[in-house]
This record gives sequence, structure tokens and C-alpha cells, in this order.
Amino acid sequence: MRAGRLILAPLLGLVAFVGLWELAVRALDIQPFILLAPSRIVEELGDRPAFYAGEMGVTARHAGIGMLIGLVVALVVGAALAASRLAEQAAQPVLILILVAPWVAYFTSIVVWLGPGDPPTYFLVAFVTLPAFVFATVVGLRSADPAAREVLASVDARAAEVLWRLRLPSAMPTIFATARFSVGLALAAAYYAEGGNFADRGLGAAGRRAAGVQNGPILWATVAGTVLLGMAGLVIITVVERVALRWHVSQRRAVTAVSWRAHRRSVS
Amino acid sequence: MPAAIELSGVSKSFGPVEALAPVDLCVERGEIVTILGPSGSGKTTVLRLVAGLERPTDGTVLVDGDPPATARAAKRVGFVPQTPALLPWRTVAANARLLLDVNRGDGARRDHHADPDELLAEVGLMPFRRSYPHELSGGMQQRVSLVRAMVLGSPLLLMDEPFASLDEITRADMRHLLTRLCEPRATTVLFVTHSIPEAVFLSDRVAVLSARPGRIVGIEPVPLPRPRRPELEDDPAFFAIETRLRALLHAGAGR
Repeated sequence: MRAGRLILAPLLGLVAFVGLWELAVRALDIQPFILLAPSRIVEELGDRPAFYAGEMGVTARHAGIGMLIGLVVALVVGAALAASRLAEQAAQPVLILILVAPWVAYFTSIVVWLGPGDPPTYFLVAFVTLPAFVFATVVGLRSADPAAREVLASVDARAAEVLWRLRLPSAMPTIFATARFSVGLALAAAYYAEGGNFADRGLGAAGRRAAGVQNGPILWATVAGTVLLGMAGLVIITVVERVALRWHVSQRRAVTAVSWRAHRRSVS
Repeated sequence: MPAAIELSGVSKSFGPVEALAPVDLCVERGEIVTILGPSGSGKTTVLRLVAGLERPTDGTVLVDGDPPATARAAKRVGFVPQTPALLPWRTVAANARLLLDVNRGDGARRDHHADPDELLAEVGLMPFRRSYPHELSGGMQQRVSLVRAMVLGSPLLLMDEPFASLDEITRADMRHLLTRLCEPRATTVLFVTHSIPEAVFLSDRVAVLSARPGRIVGIEPVPLPRPRRPELEDDPAFFAIETRLRALLHAGAGR
């Protein structure tokens, strides 16, 4: 039942949104290049499913791996910054800079540096998702239970042990929450990079080509493809979060060992 | 043989605030000593100084004749904080053995440690070995916290008002449990509390602190027979000691 509600409610929201969109395009007779009706987008996707599936796979790879790289680097940087308030404050402007610098300004330089294709794409995705993950890591590491830290200090636990056993797991909830927000950013960066990395793979490249010849259907099909990837990404993160954070208060309702059976019966 | 804990002229200030006025206290091996005092009297500070979590502004703290850091490194100190502070992502059994897992490569202490499962059975938590902390009540979590500290088999236990957040009935059960655990093992215990019955039931001696800045108003011996049984709390001798402690507390509060 809970799983059903989980899927049903968002689905209904989506259907309502798409319905209004279709209505608007038909009623107001909007030009295809400005906004395409959902029915036409579905038609376009259905005309060449293998092509779009392939390009979606490429974009998914770019966004997914790029985000993972960003996360891993952020964990290392975050751990270093969490140790020193001075370092953290010194790093703040740099992280904000990364967040707000427009990609179009420096991406060509990245391509010149790293060559065409995948490397600059992974770099951009990792680069733009880095600041949010660093903030999340620092906050998360600092949120470790101070009493638990003292218990570990009472046996002289080394800093690495405290980090691994206490502080990193404590940071998981914040990091997962940030991952949710970062999916959209990672996909946007992947889409943008694919349009400018001189390789011809990915939704971004197909979209750029379509925009160049004012082909509305293909352009909007790539947009739809990116949206589908985003939703899939969120579902994946939610599922992983449910498993990885099953101990966390956000993933459960209050239940004691004694009332578990009664609780199960009441919610089924 | 050096005393288990020796505090000589120890005082502690946090910036301009003097939390602890100079304090002298000696705890012998196998003794159970309680520090009793009102809120803000610096009793937790004393404990943290012994645990080496703070450094004294003045005076010396010795644990078994060594600085606290040495005792900590040798895992000779079992610390029970005010909140259970269990790791929510670990089961009860995994939490119980946490301190054994930490610094595992460091050889030394492992032979003296107790069996986590045995201790869990003693505190009545074996059916909950695979449960997670959020599935336990506050009293049950504190019991795991106790087991976690005792698993080290360390000769010294430091306990910071561990039963403060529990209701009266559970508190009474917990102090009876604690004596059952500590008496046969002859552990040295330094226990901090603001509860008079707790202080009398558990201890061999009670050190009463005044209000801030805390200084020792008096050290009251508790010559009641061991092993301490729950029925002792109805004994007139028990009540007499409680009365004397109450008087000392009032004196310390300046009333």
C-alpha cells in the first residue's frame, strides 16, 4: 500500500501537468519550436526509440559518473574542511565561485585542456556538483553526536576511525538529500557539455543539432529524455536511501520492538 | 599501589567562568564513589577531567598514577555519557562491541575484555541483540551504553548521570542492576548524579559539591552492607545517610 501511494501520487501530478500542457498547445496554437505538444513528443520518441534510448544511456552515464566523481572528491575535501573552521571559511568563496560561474564561459577551455568527448563532460558534471556535496559533507560530519564522539575519545580512537565509524555515517542523510538536488544539476551540466564537447553522443548533442536546424520535435524529445532520466535518477536515489538509511528517523515511523506486530497490521 | 583516581588541587575555568574551585579527591581501587551536587556545580567537569576530555586549569589529575591520556590509550577507562549515544546504524550487539572494534590493531587490552553477549544477557537484552537503537526504550538504550563501557573490562568506570533522563521506576531498576554488575567485578566507579537515593544506594563514599564554583563540601561514607539489596532503600540507616547528604547539599547551596 505504501509503495502504491509512493508511485501513484507523483504519477497523478505528472498526468495532470501533461494534460494541461497538451491543452494549452492545442488551444493557443503554439508553434512547434517554441513549445511542442506532449503528444508530438511521444510520437517523436516512438519513431526512433533505439536512437533515443541510446542517447539517454550516454547522458545517464555522463551525469551519473560525473556526479559520483563529484561526490567522492567532495567527501575528501569536506573531511579536510570539517577539521578546520578557518579552512572552511577560506574555501567558501571558492565554492560559491564554482557554483555561479557560467559554464559557457569556461567550458571550451576545459575541452581544449582535456580533449573532446567524455573527459570534459565528466569534469563539468563533477565540478558543478562539487560545492553542494562539499557543503553537505561538512555540515553532515559536524552533525555527529557529540556524546558518541566522547565515547570514542575515551578509548583514544584515532581521527580516521572516528571519521569512518561515526562522522561519515552521520553525514549520510544530508548527503542523500543533496544528491536529490544535484541530479537535476548534473543532468543539466551533462546536457550542456554534450552540446559543446565536439563528440556527437548524448541528448545534449542531439538537442544542439536539432536547435541548429530549428527542428522542434527532436529538440523537445531530448528535453523529455532528460526529464525522464531525472525522474529515474530520483527514484534510484530514493530506493538506495531507503536501504542505506533504514536506521534514520526520516525513513520510518516511530515504532518500538514491542508494538512492531500491531503496527504492521495497522498499516497494511 | 597508586590510587585509582587522584585529584590534587584541581580547578577548572572556562574562560572567565570558574566551574570548579580547587578540589582534592582520592578514589581507591574497587571503590564506588559518587559525586553529588546541584546543577552547574561542576560535577560533570570533574568526570571529564578524570576521563581526560578536559585539562585542568590548575592541579593534577592522575588515573592509576598516570595522566588520564595514558589510561585512555590503554583502554582502561569505560565512559558512560549522559545520553546513550548509540550508533543508530548499528544493531544492539554491534553497538555493544563498538569499543572493542576501535583501534583493534593496538594489541594490548584485548585479553581482559568481557564477552559482549554475556553482558547483554546479564542486563536482559539478549532478545534484542539484532534490534536497532530506535526500536528500544530509553532505559534499554542506557543498558546497551552500560554494556558498551563494561565490555572493555576496564578497571575504571566513569558515569555521567546516566540515569538522569529515565523515570523514577526505571532509575531504581538501573541502580540495582548497576550494583549487580559492578560489585562482583570489583570495578572502580566514579559516578555523577544529582539524585540522593542513587548516591546512597550505589556508593562506598559520596563527595558533595557546592553550587558553582564547585568545591567539596563534605565526603560522606556509606557504611551499608554489600551486596546492596533493593530492600535496603527502606532501611532507617539508608534514610539517615540521605538526610545527612541533604544537609550537606543545603550547606553547599548556601541555604
